[in-house]
Amino acid sequence: VCVAGYGPSGGNEILQLLPPPTLQAKETQGLCPERDFKVECGGFSNRPVYSLKCVPDTSLLVTSGPPDSSLQVWQVSAEDSDVIKSVSAIPTENGTGQPWARIATISARAPWVLHGSRLDNVHITEVESRKNVYVAASRSSEELSGLAFLDCNTLLLCCAKGQLCLADVRQPQSPLEAVSVPSAPCGERWCVGVGRGPQGSDSSSQPVACLSSGGHLTLTDVRKTSESLASAKCRVPSPSSGAEFLCVSWAPALEGCLAVSGFDGTVHVYDARSWDSSGREAEPVFVHKGHAFGGWDSGGGPPLVTVHTWHPQKPRTLLSAASDGSLHVWDWVQSCGKC
Amino acid sequence: MPEIKVTPLGAGQDVGRSCILVSIAGKNVMLDCGMHMGYNDDRRFPDFSYITQNGRLTDFLDCVIISHFHLDHCGALPYFSEMVGYDGPIYMTHPTKAICPILLEDYRKITVDKKGETNFFTSQMIKDCMKKVVAVHLHQTVQVDEELEIKAYYAGHVLGAAMFQIKVGCESVVYTGDYNMTPDRHLGAAWIDKCRPDLLISESTYATTIRDSKRCRERDFLKKVHETVERGGKVLIPVFALGRAQELCILLETFWERMNLKAPIYFSTGLTEKANHYYKLFITWTNQKIRKTFVQRNMFEFKHIKAFDRAFADNPGPMVVFATPGMLHAGQSLQIFRKWAGNEKNMVIMPGYCVQGTVGHKILSGQRKLEMEGRQILEVKMQVEYMSFSAHADAKGIMQLIRQAEPRNVLLVHGEAKKMEFLKQKIEQEFHVNCYMPANGETTTIFTNPSIPVDISLGLLKRETAIGLLPDVKKPKLMHGTLIMKDNSFRLVSPEQALKELGLAEHQLRFTCRVHIQDPRKEHETVLRVYNHLKGVLKDYSVQHLPDGSITVESILIQATAHSEDQGTKVLLVSWTYQDEELGSYLTSLLKKGLPQSTS
Repeated sequence: VCVAGYGPSGGNEILQLLPPPTLQAKETQGLCPERDFKVECGGFSNRPVYSLKCVPDTSLLVTSGPPDSSLQVWQVSAEDSDVIKSVSAIPTENGTGQPWARIATISARAPWVLHGSRLDNVHITEVESRKNVYVAASRSSEELSGLAFLDCNTLLLCCAKGQLCLADVRQPQSPLEAVSVPSAPCGERWCVGVGRGPQGSDSSSQPVACLSSGGHLTLTDVRKTSESLASAKCRVPSPSSGAEFLCVSWAPALEGCLAVSGFDGTVHVYDARSWDSSGREAEPVFVHKGHAFGGWDSGGGPPLVTVHTWHPQKPRTLLSAASDGSLHVWDWVQSCGKC
Repeated sequence: MPEIKVTPLGAGQDVGRSCILVSIAGKNVMLDCGMHMGYNDDRRFPDFSYITQNGRLTDFLDCVIISHFHLDHCGALPYFSEMVGYDGPIYMTHPTKAICPILLEDYRKITVDKKGETNFFTSQMIKDCMKKVVAVHLHQTVQVDEELEIKAYYAGHVLGAAMFQIKVGCESVVYTGDYNMTPDRHLGAAWIDKCRPDLLISESTYATTIRDSKRCRERDFLKKVHETVERGGKVLIPVFALGRAQELCILLETFWERMNLKAPIYFSTGLTEKANHYYKLFITWTNQKIRKTFVQRNMFEFKHIKAFDRAFADNPGPMVVFATPGMLHAGQSLQIFRKWAGNEKNMVIMPGYCVQGTVGHKILSGQRKLEMEGRQILEVKMQVEYMSFSAHADAKGIMQLIRQAEPRNVLLVHGEAKKMEFLKQKIEQEFHVNCYMPANGETTTIFTNPSIPVDISLGLLKRETAIGLLPDVKKPKLMHGTLIMKDNSFRLVSPEQALKELGLAEHQLRFTCRVHIQDPRKEHETVLRVYNHLKGVLKDYSVQHLPDGSITVESILIQATAHSEDQGTKVLLVSWTYQDEELGSYLTSLLKKGLPQSTS
């Protein structure tokens, strides 16, 4: 598990943590020899880290964050040291003054990082050589809120205002195909979550989920974008706390389940199989409230969940981090709700 | 440069065998004298031959300090003092002094009686060793000799554990032993003042761990105990007599009370009495809450926890039993284990580290068929769980302690150097201090910069303050004097007083320089020209023309004479004292440039 700090001044740490054996095993064990995380290696970043992605099949990490849209590449330790070293920076043209870049990584043909902060500066760069292998053809300067590889050739870009765009890496000249999120209320910010099917399956067959700062959730099939598959609304506190940390993701090992966070100190889990197109309020299968009982964040307010992710193998286990520096690993029991 | 030398003794970087040698300002101190529980041969003791190859160690060490009663910190003490030979003082806190011999005797019994070892210390040796112990109180400055003093600070961790400050003159080292920066149910957290030692030596076994929240760990433990008891099973918790046992007892007692549970909880008799006795005796060493509630209710007199009788092990129905010893290697806990192992409804929870070779270690490694005495095979069907409740500081704790003490250097022991590079950088970046991580047997030298106090004579102080502007309290003031070093004391006095004390006459140094000037006029006219010239140039200085024909610039004297052979040349004699060297040289160069051609 990699975690990083996003404090405004320097001295942010990037840590690679080894989870305790309970979380590594496939079956749930009882008490295990260790319950603690081990710091495998760590490094220091001058910039706040807003996004952190591992480059698969390599020992590299890519991070991004203010003050511009450039990326930092890090080497996770060699055998003889536990320090995460900065190896290079991937600059972007006209990068200064741009918002921070969203990133996604893949290692299908070579270790690639897809990055950009606006529709008109989306690139795919080879991580090791820092060579650009793809530039998206778009003149729109819409701000991006997320991007992902649907498969090794297909990209999905999500604009903050709610549009989804598809692109094919093999056809860099053709313009991006925009797909609006149907019936999206104006004025809200959107983010996207892409499913990760079992190994070998085509990710583009899974619906993508879009989440808005007002709590609207829409599921769309990217191959048939004229209408949404289903939509629902999740309960959000008001006034809403802004859209900085909105996060929606599909469970890799639990069909139809997705998790939502970023509104407050909770993480909601929904079963989207029961949704229809009405867009009415959905009941979460489970709500993790642990972070709300934590300390205070650096601003003195109650903690806000900054990001969450699913355990790749354990079906009902999630990891979430919050603005008070806490990291929670939790699960829920299906039948009786919260334990 | 004065230096402090630190050498961790003993080989290997696993748990056990804490023993650190420190050399500070000519004094040699040994910190802890632990035994490695994993070895059965000489490797279990630290390698004392580093200090000297032959003979007793008394002459080589000024004192020995023991931080707490865990065997990996004091287990080798009787061997060291009675078998290798040391007669000097051994310092430890009162609870440590009371509890150490009990654990040492316990371990000796098992090693010699059960395992039949021969080269081991005897009961008498333990007694003789403890006679050399001097007990200390917290925050009490103890003078080991005229120059060396030590002071103990609260370390948490276990009853009586202390961190020690070792001071010689202005150089000091703080050794933490094992400590804990978060309070638990029966002990407080470690604390130290801003003593700013030259060096802080900290254990770092858990430095790369981020500990799970205590609440989660406890909740997990209680859940498992509860589940087992609910289905009618029995829970065995092997513990050492003193240590985490008290913590777990308080935890269970509170839980039983809250959940209104009826299943009995038992504590081996010998254990309860001893533990209770020591905790009552050393109540000031427990945490705030316990001390406060002690008046109304002794926290260690439990409502739900009763004394155990061997016969109870055969009783039907659920129960929880705390029994010694902690690694299931002998005694009551092993007996109970054998009785309950065959039933899968039962559970054994190991609350601490188990040394290789013990039954505890075997079952934790997954062994389910154990060979007991008489070649009997024991099938283990009961659930085996492990939970580390030990109280150690993690990386966050280490940073906290450094922040409290403000050392100038940090040294980490008992960690793998390769895996500590990140922590080392973190410490260096945040506190701007050097961080060292010596391997066992490797000596680290730390250079110190001690301040040397010097007495300044009143006369000199008064004189210096009289000259010049009022002193600025924020700026250091430069003073001139003579430093007299005599009989280990330093004094700063005025030069005159120094000369007087030493019976020396004062010598004055005077320089005279000759400057040739082309001037055919009379001497007194030349003098006038020089005077006017200097007056014009040196506007800030006092330039005077004296009646006897000489010129003074401040205290520098200038006279003119005619050259003996050449009437057209005048010789200017410029004369100044050593103190006026700067002005004198400047005047000379100025005059060498010649006089302006103006009319006088």
